[in-house]
Amino acid sequence: MTKSFYTLKKEFLLITRDVHAVAVLFVMPAVFIMIMSLAMRDLFDLHQSVSIDVLAVNRDAGKKSEAFLKALEGLSAFRFHRLAKEATAERAREAMSSQNVKFALIVNENFSSSVEKEDKGNKGKKPLELLVDPSVNVQTQMVLRSALDGKLARLKGDAFIDRIGEFLEAAGIDRKTLEVSEESQVEVRYVYKGERSVKVPSAVQQSVPAWLVFSMFFIVIPLSNTFISERGQGTLMRLQSMNVSRLALITGKMVPYLLINAIQVILMIGIGVSVVPFFGGTALTLGDSLFGLILIAFSVSFCAIALALLIASIAGTSEQATTIGGVLNIIFGALGGIMVPTFVMPGFMQDLSILSPMSWGLEGFLDIFLRSGGASDVLPESLSLFIFGGVMLMLTMIRLRRAKEV
Amino acid sequence: MIGVMLIEIRHLSKSYDMKTVLDDIDLSVRRGSIMGLLGPNGAGKTTLISILTGVIGKDGGDIAIGGFDLDREPGRIQAMCSYVPQALAFYTRLSAYENLEYFGSLWGLKGRRLKERMDFCIDAGSLQAFVHKRVDTYSGGMKRRLNLAIGLLNEPEILYLDEPTVGVDTQSRNYILETIRKINRERRTTIVYTSHYMDEIEQVSDEIAVIDEGRIVLHDEKQAILTRADAVMIRVERMGEDAAEALQRREGVRIETDRIHIRGDGQFSDNMAAVFALLRDLGIRVEDVVFGHRNLEELFLKLTNDRLRDGS
Repeated sequence: MTKSFYTLKKEFLLITRDVHAVAVLFVMPAVFIMIMSLAMRDLFDLHQSVSIDVLAVNRDAGKKSEAFLKALEGLSAFRFHRLAKEATAERAREAMSSQNVKFALIVNENFSSSVEKEDKGNKGKKPLELLVDPSVNVQTQMVLRSALDGKLARLKGDAFIDRIGEFLEAAGIDRKTLEVSEESQVEVRYVYKGERSVKVPSAVQQSVPAWLVFSMFFIVIPLSNTFISERGQGTLMRLQSMNVSRLALITGKMVPYLLINAIQVILMIGIGVSVVPFFGGTALTLGDSLFGLILIAFSVSFCAIALALLIASIAGTSEQATTIGGVLNIIFGALGGIMVPTFVMPGFMQDLSILSPMSWGLEGFLDIFLRSGGASDVLPESLSLFIFGGVMLMLTMIRLRRAKEV
Repeated sequence: MIGVMLIEIRHLSKSYDMKTVLDDIDLSVRRGSIMGLLGPNGAGKTTLISILTGVIGKDGGDIAIGGFDLDREPGRIQAMCSYVPQALAFYTRLSAYENLEYFGSLWGLKGRRLKERMDFCIDAGSLQAFVHKRVDTYSGGMKRRLNLAIGLLNEPEILYLDEPTVGVDTQSRNYILETIRKINRERRTTIVYTSHYMDEIEQVSDEIAVIDEGRIVLHDEKQAILTRADAVMIRVERMGEDAAEALQRREGVRIETDRIHIRGDGQFSDNMAAVFALLRDLGIRVEDVVFGHRNLEELFLKLTNDRLRDGS
């Protein structure tokens, strides 16, 4: 117990007094999570509900314009901000600039009358006027224009049905059969490799597990630095002369770093839940299975530490370990969907991504955070990580035994 | 108890990559003695100590320490030994206190006993003033003292010291040597001491073993070795050219600036008489006469064939 306590204390002190290790293990993933969650928000939100701000001026005194705006305000894709009825186009432009809003919709005085009357073609003043910031891309503009045209068409359709109501009644036609449903009749389904990936993560749901897994594997840097220093400075020799077994040496390294990885998990999830929303991002949702979360976190940690131990036992110097570990981590990260999410990769790259243990860890975390999975859902990934880690540990033991023989 | 063999090595051999590093070594160390182990770079000193401490395995031979067979009871042997490596084997980002605490706990020390041993080691290393400061702020001498102090935590019966004074100032070196003598004197700790410094070996050792190319080429009591040739060094105030010329002509006499070295051969007595007579006649003042000075170094060079060794 005393041995374990002082071993833990020693490792914690060594890490907390190593500025570079703290930066790599805690600052780097925290910064990445913040930047990526905020910077990639809009990219990921292409798959989520978007919300575009639009200023609205209603100059029309009729009922139809109000109904039109109410219908628009019911769309989740837009946030309409009303300006005063008497606001001029100039005033609307100023408001766009001062409020950093890209669109202003002016409902002209003839709106209600144009809806209620029969369409005689594009004669005279148009009922709607849309002011658009030139920086807005055409696709976004088209989204709003389609929504406006759609609502206007629906309003006109309803007006037409009102006008021919008597004829419909006489013909025994229920006017409800002619009305268009408010609900979208299109169901969107994203297509991914594998059956389980049925949801797309938000930026924060992708960033937190991705950079968390990445930083957990970066345990290789402090661990190998300590291990190689111990070997180079004769400390390992001293420990071996003190009847400290190889197993105890390995365990003495694993346990403190498992705890450090656990602290990383708690901190990074905390950032995803509390800090990212504070800066305007969406909050991380944690899923329903604490046990599943612990299982996948422990598996990733075990695998990362075992890999780090093997690299530390093979490398001759800290520089070698840092280079081998760093490059390997970046390759695993790139391949495993850390830097580029797997779901945007082409098919053959998605096939390749399963070669990276980081992808197993990431998928496990996504199972919990995104797909509300439980321990049984992360079991395949956890087993893969444990098997990979076990092989790494065996190789480390063989390497250390050989070192003792020579 | 002096006289009883504590370490007994018979026919020890070890090879790395087809190269013989230790070749049929026979060596015994008496309980309570300090044995100086001398050897050029790559001679096999560190390998021998690494095998004795159980850090690496051996290829052949038998080793008994304190009556225990190293092959059968390595744990019991390791518990009674302590190894102070040549490298500074501790954690520089920790303080001396934290290092002692950690290594002490690995020896199974805890609570009051751990604190007592730590206090002893802090005192032995004269580290009181810096004990809570990070080791990477220490001078070379302080680091060496800590390296030694950690080795004393388990009150070892046998202390293996591998070049314990490398790269330290004179004060720290003297302090370390004095501490080693004190530990040996007061606690009867058996010490195996390797060093490149002949004067250190002369100062601290009771017996000396010279190892070269994996073989023990000399092993005897220090006094027996030092008196074997009866060599003498005479240091004078100022060596004139006439004196130097006259002395150089004598066989067995060698001049080195202000020093006269007299070899301990058959002409030793004649040479001694002649040298002192000449110095008196020329009015050259003798400042110091040291018996046996450099004898060990000369003997060492002779035994190891005087050639450069760049191996590790």
